[in-house]
Amino acid sequence: MTLELSHALDSDGVAAVRTRGLTRWFGDHCALDEVGLIVPKGAVYVLAGANGAGKTTLLRSLMELSRVDRGTVELFGDGEASPAQRRAQIGYVPDNHEFGYRWMRVGELLASHAGYFPHWDRSYAAELNARFSIDDRPRFGQLSRGQARRVQLVMALAHRPRLLLLDEPSEGLDPLVRDELGAVLAEFLAESGASLLMSTHHMHDVIGLADHLGVLVDGRLAAQVSRARLETELNQIHARVPEGWSASRDLESAVLERKSAGREISWTMWGSPDALQRELVATGAEVLSLDPLGFEHATRCLLRLGGGV
Amino acid sequence: MPILFQLRPGDTRPIYLQITDEVRRGIAHGQLVPDEALPSVRALASDLRVNPNTVQQAYRELERDGTVYVQRGRGTFIAATQDQTDEIGRITERLADDVVREAWRSGVPIDALIAAIQETARKKEDDS
Repeated sequence: MTLELSHALDSDGVAAVRTRGLTRWFGDHCALDEVGLIVPKGAVYVLAGANGAGKTTLLRSLMELSRVDRGTVELFGDGEASPAQRRAQIGYVPDNHEFGYRWMRVGELLASHAGYFPHWDRSYAAELNARFSIDDRPRFGQLSRGQARRVQLVMALAHRPRLLLLDEPSEGLDPLVRDELGAVLAEFLAESGASLLMSTHHMHDVIGLADHLGVLVDGRLAAQVSRARLETELNQIHARVPEGWSASRDLESAVLERKSAGREISWTMWGSPDALQRELVATGAEVLSLDPLGFEHATRCLLRLGGGV
Repeated sequence: MPILFQLRPGDTRPIYLQITDEVRRGIAHGQLVPDEALPSVRALASDLRVNPNTVQQAYRELERDGTVYVQRGRGTFIAATQDQTDEIGRITERLADDVVREAWRSGVPIDALIAAIQETARKKEDDS
C-alpha cells in the first residue's frame, strides 16, 4: 500500500519551505529518509508522527542546528542563504528549553534576543507578555516547562518572521494558555500572511489552524496532503453486499482500511464520494452510509496506517 | 444584531462550511439583516481559533452565492436580497438530507420518521 500523496503548490511555485532528498543518519539509524517536504507560502503545515519519527530532527535541520548527510533545503526559493540569513527570517520554538541562558532573567533574555532582530516589535512583545502572563523577573532556568514555552513563543513571534517553525509549541502549556495560543497564532497569520510549520502530538490544539498535513514514519514522509483533499476525499463507507461479492480492482486499490462482518463491510477509502457511491452501487453493494472522515479522524487514520507500513 | 459564531465540537465537516452555515442560521433567525456587517476575518479567526484563510474562504463562498457583499477596506455585509425564507429553505433541505440518509442506513421507514418528528416537536412545544 502506498500513502505517497502530494499536493499542488501555490501558483508561482515558490514554497516557503522545500526540501529535496533530506537524509540524516545517526549511526545505523536513518532519522530522515529522503524527505521532500513542501510547505506552500502562507500554509499552516502540521507535521505529525510518533515519538522518534524524525519531526524534531527535520525542524532542526531546517534551522541548520542539525547537519544533514544528504539533500537540500530551500526557504522561499533560496537555497544559498547562510545559516544566519536563514534564521533571521524564522521564528523558532525548539523542542526543549535547554539552550543556556539559564542564569538570565526573563526580561534580560527577551531584551538580548530582541537585539538580534532589527524588526523586533516592542509593543507586540509587550502584548504577548501580557497575554501569556509572563513574569520578566525570574531566571529563565528556574521556569517550569510551560512558563519557558511561553517565553520561547514570544521570542519566536515578536520579530514578526515570515516563517514560524514550532516544535510541539503547546507542550507543557495549561489548557487556557493553549487556547490563547490558538488565538495568537490566528491573529499573527491574519496580519502577516506568514507560513507556519509545526510538529505536534496534540492535533486537537491545531485542528482549526492546520491546512496541510505531513505524516512522518521512521524518518520517511509517508504522506503529505492538503486539508481540503483529506477532508473531501478520505471516506468512511458502510455497505451491505451480496453473497460472494467482490469489488473491482479499481475499488480495491483505493481502500486504506477494511473491516467486515457477515455481509456488512466498513471501508476507509480514497476518492470522490459521488464516484465511489456510483462504483459501489454498480457492483451490487447497497451503500448504507458514505461520509468524509473529517480532518481529525483522517489524520489519525494516516498515522495508524503509516505505523503499520 | 450580531450573532455568536459557534463551531460544534464533533462536527467533522470542513470548517468553512460550518462558518457559512452559521451565517445562514443568523439570516434564517432574522438576527443578521441586510447591510449588517460580519466580523473581520482577523477577529473571527481569532475568536474561533481557526486559520484566517478558512474564514476568507467562507466569506468568498458567501459572496459567490450572493449571500454577502464585500466593500474593499470596509468589510463584508449581508446582501439586501437575502431572504429569511430562502435560508430556512436551504437549512431544511440539509437537515432533511441528513436525517433521511440516517433513516435509510438504520432501516427506519420514512413515514414512521415523519410521524416521530411531529410527535417530538409537539412534546418540545408542550415543554416550553
